[in-house]
Amino acid sequence: MSWAEIVFERFKANQLKVICYVPDSVLAPLIARTEADPFFTVVPLTREEEGVGVLTGAYLGGWRGVLMMQVSGLGNSVNALASLAIPYQIPFLMLISQRGELGEFNPAQIAMGRAARPVLDALDIQHFTLRRVDEVATLMDGAIKTAYTARRPVALFLSTEMVGWKEEK
Amino acid sequence: MNRLEATQHLVRRAPQALIVAGPGNAKFDLAATGDRPQHFYIWNSLGLAPSVGLGLALAQPQQQVIVLDGDGGTLMNPGALVTTARLAPPNLLHIVWDNGQYQLTGGQPTATATVTDLAAMGRGAGLQYVAAVTTLREFKAGLETWLTEPGPWLVIAKIDDSPAPARPPKDPVWIKLRFMETVCSLGKVGVK
Repeated sequence: MSWAEIVFERFKANQLKVICYVPDSVLAPLIARTEADPFFTVVPLTREEEGVGVLTGAYLGGWRGVLMMQVSGLGNSVNALASLAIPYQIPFLMLISQRGELGEFNPAQIAMGRAARPVLDALDIQHFTLRRVDEVATLMDGAIKTAYTARRPVALFLSTEMVGWKEEK
Repeated sequence: MNRLEATQHLVRRAPQALIVAGPGNAKFDLAATGDRPQHFYIWNSLGLAPSVGLGLALAQPQQQVIVLDGDGGTLMNPGALVTTARLAPPNLLHIVWDNGQYQLTGGQPTATATVTDLAAMGRGAGLQYVAAVTTLREFKAGLETWLTEPGPWLVIAKIDDSPAPARPPKDPVWIKLRFMETVCSLGKVGVK
């Protein structure tokens, strides 16, 4: 199975019903798969911080979910995480498509890509990185479990080692 | 109209509704109507009240969900109008108290004081049910429709600049757990 197939399966197995996303080319197959499956309620966002709000409301109503975004979207979400998810103890998974590391062609992607983990560390949000397809299921299940135990978001990075990097055009 | 009077009327007419109140006076006046467990007060996160309301309305389709927010919050996250229009939960009523100013920070004018029309923005975002009211009488009359006809409804309510007299509880975790317990008792959902 591809990494995307495994992620899709783990979403379902872990009852992550609400899929919030801002599109990203790496995430595209996951977006398509979840939108085609009535198990999921898929929420396309205009900006990533909206997703922190939507997932907060969904959690209040008894639903679990995931925020899928490119790493730039983490930058757009910082105050939402700091002022809503953390103080109110709202758990969810953040699935983050990494830019700015191996194979990056776009100079405007470097700084946020490099800042992502220090920003999460500063917020005391745990993060893990998916580097190999055979680790995906374990890290997904583990990260989701920890998020709901800690009642705090947990981030999983999709490394370019695993998903490939964007071709320069 | 006066925001507290309108909020008091709303709470009387929709006693069972789950209410998400955004930062500032929207939540202060909701608290002034009497603190209740079905109030979710957002202490910071300007702009996110409608997003929280959207997620809640999707997860709890049998419950009436009401969002109370201000013009400043709406202008900070107008994308929430777009996302709500796309998902269109019929059980969501989003009320924007519009006084044309950032009241808590010294009364600096918002764009609605001069150039911006939030109802038009809502329609432009794709929301089909949009109302704009300026008097308490219009608000009371409209509310009968907004609470009974499927939405999502966006209501722009022009208000005066009376300050809010109360403050809600401040512990976010307590606010959340109390709210979730209420949701559980209403819907018997499995909250994890």
